[in-house]
Formats: sequence, C-alpha cells, structure tokens
Amino acid sequence: MLKIENKADIFHYRTLLFVLILSILTLLSRYFYLQVIEHERYSSKSKVNSVRAQATYAPRGLILDRNGVVLVENYPTYILTVTPYELDDQEKQFQIISDITEISIDELSRRYKKYYQGKFLPTIIAKNLSFAEISQIEERRLELNGIQYKRFDERLYNDMLKDAHFLGYLRELDRESLPFLDKSKLYRAGELIGWQGLEKQYENELRYSKGIDYIEVDTFGRKINRTNEKNIPAYPGKNLILSIDSKLQQFSKNLLTDQRGVILVSNVDTGDILSMVSNPSYNLDIYRGETTDSDWKNLLSDKDKPIINRNIAGLYPPGSSFKIITALNLIEDGLLDPEDSLMCTGSYTPPGSSNTFNCWKGDGHGLVDLNKAIAQSCNVYFYETVQLIKLSDWTKTAKIFGFQNKTDIDLPNELIGQIPDKEFFINTYGRWGWSERGVLLNLTLGQGDILVTPLQSLRYINHIASKGKTAKLKLNVNKKVEYYDDIILSEQTWDRIIKGLYDVVNMEGGSGWRAMQSEVKLYGKTSTAENPHGEPHAWFNGFFDFGGQTYSLVVLVENGGGGGAVASPIAGEIVKFFTNEQVKMVNK
Amino acid sequence: MSFFSSYIYGPNENLGRLYLTVSSLITFGLITLYSISTDPLSINSSFMRQVIFIIFSLFIFLILNQINVKTIHDNSTLIYIFSFLLCFVPFFLAPVENTYRWIDLGFFYIQPGEYLKCATIILIAKYLSNHQLEVKENYIVVIPILIAFLSSFLVLNQPDLGTAAIIFAPVLPMMLWAGVSIFTLFLLIAPVITIIAASNSVIFNIWGILMFIIFLAFQGSLIKRILIYFANIFTGLLFPFFWNDFLNGYQRQRFIDFLNPDLDPMGSSYHIIQSITAIGSGGLFGKGWGQGSQTQLKFLPVQESDFILSVIAEEFGFFGIAVIMFLFFMLIKTLLDIAFKSSDYYSSLVIVGLTSILFSHIFVNSAMTIGLMPVKGLPTPFVSAGGSFMLLCFIILSLVTNLSKN
Repeated sequence: MLKIENKADIFHYRTLLFVLILSILTLLSRYFYLQVIEHERYSSKSKVNSVRAQATYAPRGLILDRNGVVLVENYPTYILTVTPYELDDQEKQFQIISDITEISIDELSRRYKKYYQGKFLPTIIAKNLSFAEISQIEERRLELNGIQYKRFDERLYNDMLKDAHFLGYLRELDRESLPFLDKSKLYRAGELIGWQGLEKQYENELRYSKGIDYIEVDTFGRKINRTNEKNIPAYPGKNLILSIDSKLQQFSKNLLTDQRGVILVSNVDTGDILSMVSNPSYNLDIYRGETTDSDWKNLLSDKDKPIINRNIAGLYPPGSSFKIITALNLIEDGLLDPEDSLMCTGSYTPPGSSNTFNCWKGDGHGLVDLNKAIAQSCNVYFYETVQLIKLSDWTKTAKIFGFQNKTDIDLPNELIGQIPDKEFFINTYGRWGWSERGVLLNLTLGQGDILVTPLQSLRYINHIASKGKTAKLKLNVNKKVEYYDDIILSEQTWDRIIKGLYDVVNMEGGSGWRAMQSEVKLYGKTSTAENPHGEPHAWFNGFFDFGGQTYSLVVLVENGGGGGAVASPIAGEIVKFFTNEQVKMVNK
Repeated sequence: MSFFSSYIYGPNENLGRLYLTVSSLITFGLITLYSISTDPLSINSSFMRQVIFIIFSLFIFLILNQINVKTIHDNSTLIYIFSFLLCFVPFFLAPVENTYRWIDLGFFYIQPGEYLKCATIILIAKYLSNHQLEVKENYIVVIPILIAFLSSFLVLNQPDLGTAAIIFAPVLPMMLWAGVSIFTLFLLIAPVITIIAASNSVIFNIWGILMFIIFLAFQGSLIKRILIYFANIFTGLLFPFFWNDFLNGYQRQRFIDFLNPDLDPMGSSYHIIQSITAIGSGGLFGKGWGQGSQTQLKFLPVQESDFILSVIAEEFGFFGIAVIMFLFFMLIKTLLDIAFKSSDYYSSLVIVGLTSILFSHIFVNSAMTIGLMPVKGLPTPFVSAGGSFMLLCFIILSLVTNLSKN
C-alpha cells in the first residue's frame, strides 16, 4: 500500500464511461452508415471505380563498343502470366499451356509458386514464347481464363562477343532479393535486373525509369479506362559505350584458341581497356531462359571454370615480372650500382646453407649487370641481390604498384590477390617455420605465396609505362579519367627499368625476343610462373607506342609453358594487329 | 463462481477479463494479418513478424510483472528522465524515413516517443498524488500541463505530430479522476474549442454565446471570469494568423484534405477515399476472409497497421466491426473498473492515464479510417502490426497488472 488511499468518485467513473460509450457509438454509427446505409454506393464504387497505379516500361539501355558496334541489345519476346484469382482449373489450364509451350507442368507450377505475389496480381510462368505459341493460346482463349501474355524484352548479345564475361547478364528478381534494393527504383519480383558484370555495375544507368499509368479497374483488376493526365511516362535506360574494340577482342580471343588464359589490352593514357579476353568462356545466351538444369550443372562443374572472368577473379603467381620489384628497391635505395656485374654460374647457394638454387639457364649467364639480369631474366642475379633488401621494403613496393588492392575497374566481384608480409608468414608457418632470407629467394622470382590477377598485372605494367602516373582502368569510355596514386621514383630509375624491358624484347638473348616487331618498339617482361597445377603459366606483360598513344598488354596462358616461348609470340601478334589494321585508337 | 470461470478469470476477476479481451483482440488481428499477407508463413510476412513480436512482448511482459509497484512509484521521476533522454538518441543516429523517431535495434525498431507517453503519465500521477490535498485549487493543473508540454515539445521536434498530440490525451481524464473541479477543466478545454470554432464565423458566434452562459453559471470573481472569457475570444481571433504563419505546409495540407476528402483523389486524401470505399463495400457481413478486393488488390495503403480496421470492415463487414468495437469497449471498461477498484490513489491515476492512451489510439485510428479525423500514423492497440507499439501495449498491460495487485 502506497501512502494515499484511492478515493475515486463513482461520478468520475461514470463520466469517463459515458465518454467511452458515446465515442464507441459515434464510431459504430459512422461504420453503420457507410457499411449498411451507403453500402450499395461503395460496393459499386469498389467494383468499377477503383483507381490503380500500373507500372509502364521502356527499353533498357544498349551496350556498344568504342566504334558503335552494338554488343547487347533488346529482343522482344512474349511472356505468359497467370492471375491466380481468375484461374478456373489450374491443373487443366496448366496442361493446355504445357502442351502448347512444351514446358512441363512441374516447371510451370514451380515458377507459379516462386513468383507468386498475391491472388490478384499477375505471376510470370513462361517466357520466350514464339508468335506461333501466342497464336495457339489466343485460339484457346476461352479455356484459358486468367492467363495473359504480354511483351517482355530480353537481352540479345552480338554474335561477335556473346562470350565476353565482362558484359554480365540479367536475372529475374525473386521476392527474397527485393528488400535489399533501392526502393525508389520500384523493382518488382519477376523483373530483370543486372546480376553480373557491366549489367550489374551500370544497372542504375542502363535500367529504364518506370512510368506509372493510373487506370480505373474493376474488382478483378480488369482495366476500365485510363483516368487522367497525371500519368508519369517511362523513359528508356541510357546506352553504355565501352572502351572495348570488338575486332581486337575477337582477334585476341582467337589467338588463345583452346588454351586457358587471358589477354588484356589497354590504353595507358586513358585507362581504357580495349580487349579483355578470358578463355574458356561460355555463351551468355544461356541466361535467356530455356537452359536445362543439366546444362547448368555441366557448366558449373566444368573443371576449366569457363564461368569465371579470369581477368579479375583468376589468381596466379606472377613469376619473373616481379623481378622489377626487387630491381626498383635496389636502385631506388642505392643498395648497389646497377653497372656492377655479378657472376652467374647457373646456381646459387646462400651463405651458411647447403641448398642450391638453380638459374633457369643451366650453364649460367656469365657476368650479369642489372640490365642484362632483367633482359635475360637471370635468377642468380636476383637471388644474390635480394639478400640486400628487407622483406617489409619489398612488400611495400609491391603494394605501391597496386597489388593486394582493387584496381577499381568498373566491374563487380574483383579479387585482390595476396602479397605475403611478415604477419602472413608467421600466421601460416609459425614464428620459426620460415626465414626472411629464405622467403625472399622465392618472392623475388614472383613465386611462393604471391597471387595476382591479370588485371593487377596490367595496372603494374601501366604504372611502369607511364613512369608512375597512370589512369585508372575502366571499361566505360565515358567514365571520367581518374588516376591511381602517383608513384614517385627518380627519372633515372624509371629509365633504367624501361631500358631493361626494351632489351627483354629487342636485345640479343632477351627472353621475349619472339615478340619483337620491326615497326613498333615493344617493351615487356616474360614470366614463367611455376605452380602446383602442372606446367608453368606463361606470361608476357608489355607496352608499346603506337600512333602517339601508349598501349599496354598482358598475355597469360595457364599451364602454357615458358613465357618467352608461349606468351611472347601472342603479344607480338597483338602488336601486329595494330600495325596491320592501322587501328584508329584515337582517344575519345 | 464456477470452476470454468475461475480458471479463466483467476483470483482477480477484472484482470482475467482484461487478459481474455486482449487475447481476443490479438487473435482477431492475427487472423486479419494472415489474410493480407502474400506469403503468410514466410519469415518476412507481416503475419509471422507479428507472431514473433507478440512472443517477444509476452516475454518482456512476464519479466516486467516481477517489478514491485513501490519501485515504480518511488522512481517515477527517474523513469521520466530516462524516457526523456531516450528520445534524444534518434537525433544522434541516421534518420529513418527522414524523421528522428526510431532507434534501430537490428531485429526491430523502437520508438522512444511511445515510452515517453507512459513516463509522462507516471510523473503526472506522482505529482498529483503528492499534492492530493490541493486538487481543488486551480493552480494544480499547471504542473501536469507543463510536464505534458515538455514531452510533447520534444516529440514534436522528431517530428511526430501524432504522438505529440496523444501525450495530452491522458491529462484531462487524470485530473478529473484526481478530483480537479469541472470548471477548472472547462477553462482548459475552452481555448481548444475556441480555436476549432474559429474556422467558421457562425459556429464561433454560437460558441461565444454558449461560453458566456457557462461562465455566468459558475461561481468565482466576476473580473476573473470576464478576463478569461475575453482571452478565449482573442485566441479564436488570433488563430487564423497562427495557422498561416506557423504551421508547416504539410500540416496544413493534412487538415485541408481532411476537411475535403474529394478535393484531390490521387493526392494524400487518396488514402481516406480508398479506406472508406473498402469499408463501405464490406456491407453487413463482409466479403469473406481473404476476399476483400480493395485490400487484396493493394488499393488500401498501410493496411497491416494504420488501416487494419478497414481490412476488417471489408472482409468481415459491419458484423466484424461490431465485434471488434465491443472488444475495445470491454478493454477500456475493464481498465476503468480496475482503476476504480484499485486500493491506492497513485496506482489508480496511472491506470486511468494508460487507459486514456489506449483509448485515444483506438478512437483516432478508427475515426481516421472512416474519415472523421486526419490521416495520422497511429496504430490500433493489440490489432495493428508493428513491434514497437505492440511492446508498448504489453508494457501497459504489465503496469496495470502490477498496479492492480497492490
């Protein structure tokens, strides 16, 4: 019991009770008035005079290459929808549709369940109907109450590039994904949305803006007429123009024939990517509908992984191109005189160790200075000199060039690879399971625990080609040119490295001599990256000047063998394409 | 008492009746939510979410039932300060739908303004019970009104006009219950009526005369009565200036829409028109469960919370509305019975305040669906979908349980 006793007055109780009864009766009488006395009026109003907002659509934006070739366009098809409330006999009606479209009843029922949005709302159950099928449905109109067809745009890929991963694809939205999307874009289940690649990256630009028609409908959602001029028109999506040159893309693709690998070509000055091949690939048309489950399973379980865009999601050891990282540390920190020579006898034994590390050239390179070491890719030179460098300095330099970092290309799902540092080694091998000197012998050759994507490798070569100031890689020609953080090194350092890369291709005994072209000066670095999956990966990273612009390229052949023997000739062919075609790669 | 009724009602007959009414309302609400959910058994449907909210609220209810009344009484001020400060939290978080009303707890949102309503009642009850001997004096009304203003002002800035208005709902019933004189209460509501009457000159004149007669009828100093009378008239005359210069565009628009629902059928009064059409087309017995075309075609906006009564009206007809109104009546009457029977002054006042909150929600929400009041996002207790408000209702239930035990 608290301090004061309740002395509530019966009069107060009755006053409040009176207010309560009065209020409830007021409400009830109003309900009675609306529901009983005025029922007829509202009943007919609800039947015929319900204004309903209906979405209207416009085409999605096209995707074109830099020369205006249409790569992805829209293709009108018909879809079949079901309004659950109006179905007379679902089983029988689905049987008719199944007979006409040759889609099994089970599949129809599955889609019906998956895309169901409510009793009175149309649910998509079949796509890609031919005109003949539509005619048959129209003939049996009377038996198919509640089933409608309407136009629906699908994506159509240009035959030239229908296997280009970066284009991406659209997917039908299901109810589960809806809550995660931008509400203002008015997405609905069953509509198409960019799900991968550029279609996803530029979804906001490519997607049409939905319009709204206010229509009067009856109880069954049937249209009576359009109401007023407050309708909002639908606008088509914006076209997307790519930096890709589809001829070059196709040409590069053919160079790889049936080898697994990657070819990248870019304009160093603008960051525009001209070619981005990932082999093997698959036909993007499979997203258009009738792909069976077993086709899907085959594609997903293929051990060559055609579904992956290796350019951004393939991880490889970089091999000898990483010798440049060591070289930069040596020159920039003044750890040795680049003119000094060492003797390569074909093998190297670290001080105090009994293990011997071999050069790829069994009988040795003889006297080697830095330039020759780069040009001929001498292992022993780098085994010895890397001993002057600290692991932390080495990883820092690698990261400055963008490794273990996104290239910020306009594609989703880019991987960042791995540059191992001290912490990594401790976590992986324990405090005493590794030594700094030991791991550096591996790292300096670009082997061991390093993993990079081909696109990162392209960025790396662009940094070198532009002496540290290079544009961010991109596929959208109209995207503003942005730059990566400048890499500031002395002019002589850059010149020395670039001279080395020139000699790789053009000097007697250079490892990339097979790429040499008479008309164009090509710079580059071959790599032969050992890996646990069989033959080494063959790399060639390089750049060249053509028509006043600097272009770069990355060739990677998975388990192809030597970089000099396998990747260099492909690089040479690409340069030849430029000279033969006299490509008008003028900056846009 | 038979075995059956003692089983249902338990030792305290009124509490038993209260729980029975609440369970019926919740069941009615769930049946309706099931009907409007596209995929009721999915975890994201309003039906399943409501089930989860109810289980969660019930759990909180059982925990709060362990709290002693004396603890609440002694800490009334502390409870108020805590709730007051809680209302500041959203201002430091990201705005939700451009307002600062909500705190996102991850699995659901809570609206601190809701809890401030209860805390305001608790503080006013404490004040009135501490000054019980002075209730016949006019000045007793000052502090409770200031407390209500303080709470209301804070909530108004979130901005939440609906909650800010509801905070005032319990003030009058509580003061009446406490024993404040009818004339004093009349002085309080007179200006409000004056303002409303000011919109029409004929009504304003009638009200002026009526007020004059009432002032004559009551005792007290003549000069004081005359002064108050003219203060009222002035308020009425000044109101149009206030209306034009101080209210936001959208606030004015809400009132205008309300007064004239056919003006702009596709604009904001679209909601009222769709709601009335749904209700009217329901008829005597409704279109049947899950058969409401207005509802199922999604003409009806926010049907799971603000307009759930319209769904009931469409699908179950006037019959369904009569049942739900009876349940609401039983709910409020039972609460008043409990307040009346309560053995101490403080508990009794708090229960009356909480009852007023529930009742004002019921009234404003129902009145809105049938076009008697402006569209305002106030949910219906125990029926509307929504976690924060369901939890509040259960907290109120728990407070009532505790206070009645005393």
